[in-house]
Amino acid sequence: MRNPMSYGFVITVALALFLQPALSSAQARGEQPPAAGAQAGRGARGARGGRGGQPALPSAPTPHWSDGRVNLDATPGAKGFWNVMQGNVVGKGGSSLPTNLTLDEVPFQDWAKALYEYRVSRNGLDDPHARCYPAGGMRFFTVPNGLNIIDQSELGRIFLISGENRDWRRIAMEPGRKHPSEDEIIPSYFGDSIGHWEGETLVVDTVGFNERFWMIRGGLPHTRYLHLIEHFTRINYNSMKYEVTIDDKGAYTKPWSGGWTIPWQTVNYDNSPGGEIHEYFCHDNERDSENFKELGNR
Amino acid sequence: MRYSTVGFLALALIVAASAAMPLLAHHSFAAEYDSKQPVTMKGAVTKIEWMNPHVYFYIDVKDDQTGKIQNWGWEMGAPAVIQRTGWTKNSMKIGDLVIVEGTRAKGGTNHGNARSVTMASTGKKLGAGSSEGQSPEQ
Repeated sequence: MRNPMSYGFVITVALALFLQPALSSAQARGEQPPAAGAQAGRGARGARGGRGGQPALPSAPTPHWSDGRVNLDATPGAKGFWNVMQGNVVGKGGSSLPTNLTLDEVPFQDWAKALYEYRVSRNGLDDPHARCYPAGGMRFFTVPNGLNIIDQSELGRIFLISGENRDWRRIAMEPGRKHPSEDEIIPSYFGDSIGHWEGETLVVDTVGFNERFWMIRGGLPHTRYLHLIEHFTRINYNSMKYEVTIDDKGAYTKPWSGGWTIPWQTVNYDNSPGGEIHEYFCHDNERDSENFKELGNR
Repeated sequence: MRYSTVGFLALALIVAASAAMPLLAHHSFAAEYDSKQPVTMKGAVTKIEWMNPHVYFYIDVKDDQTGKIQNWGWEMGAPAVIQRTGWTKNSMKIGDLVIVEGTRAKGGTNHGNARSVTMASTGKKLGAGSSEGQSPEQ
C-alpha cells in the first residue's frame, strides 16, 4: 500500500469506495444512480470539508428501506460506520447543534453544578471511562472507534453497535413495549430503551441508568432518575443529527436538550480503505488508572 | 539525565500539525500529564506493547552526568490512531535508538505522553497520536 507504484490503484479504490454509498442508496430505492461526482459520499472527512481544505461534495440523500423506513446504516453492498468521536451536548460551534444551551444556561441543581465544577477542576481525573468503564448515556456517541446501527425491525429491535469495547445497546421496537417498573428495573450503564419512528426520525426513550458513569466526557452529573429521550435523524447519507433531552429531576431543575451531528465514514478508522469497525478493548492494556491513583484519585 | 525543554510555540505547532483528525484518548490528557513539562529524550527501545487503549513503548535513558540508566515508559495513541500517522507494527523494534518528544506525567514518575518519535538511524519522525490540545466536552 505504501509503494509509490501503487498510488494510482489506491486512489481508484478510494474513489470507488467513496462513490459506492451514493450509488447503493439510490439503487436501494429503485432510483437512478446520481451522476458520478455529483452525489459522491465522501465519508466523515468529506462531510467536514474534504481533504486539504477542498469543499465538501454534496452528499447522497438519506437512504430508505423498501418499506419506506429510513436506513440508519450502510446500504446493501456498501460499507461504512458512523464516526462517533466528538460531540457536545452543551455549547455551540463545530458539530454542535445551533440550538444547544451554553454552559451557564444549563439548569443545574446547586449540588450538581458544584460537582460538575469539582470534576472540571480535577481535569477529569475521576472519570470512570478513563478506567474503561462503559460510556453510558449520550457519551455512547462521543467515544471513538465507530458505530453501526443494525435495524432488525422484523424482530422488534434495533442494535447500536459501538466499536468502543464492542459495547452495544438494544432498542426495543415492539409495539406497546413498556419500561419495567421502578421495582423491577436494575440500574445499568445503558438503561432500558424503547424506540419508535416519528416520520424520518427514530425516537428512543431510555430509563434505568446507574450512577457509575459520566454521561458526557466533561463530567455533567446525573442521578438514577436520568431519563433520556433521543432523536436520530439521518439528514442525508453522510450526516445524522443526534438530539437528546436530559430529564433528571435529581440533578437538574427542568428537562433540557442538546445535540450534535455525526458524520458517516467510509474508510477504516486508520484511514485505510474498508469502512469497517476494528477491534478495540480498553481493558487490554489499561495503565492509566495506576497513575491516577498516584495523583490522588479517590 | 538530560532533558531539553521544547518551546511552547514549537509545541503548539506540533500539536496543530498533527490535529488533522481528532485523537481523543479514553481519558483526559490533563488528568495525567503536565503540559508545562515538555521533554525530549533519547534512548534504546526495551519493550513495545502494540495494544489498546494505547501503544506503550519503553526506552533506557542514560544520564550523561552520572552514567546511570533509567527506564522510561511512553504512551502513544491507540494502534489505529497512530497508524493514521504512518506507523506500522514494525516501525520501531527493540534495540532501536529513538528520540522522543513528549510531555511528562504528573507525579514525577518515569512516564510520559509521546508527541513524536524520531528513529535515530534514519531521522524518520512519526507523530505519536497525542491527545494533547483536545478540549473535552461538557
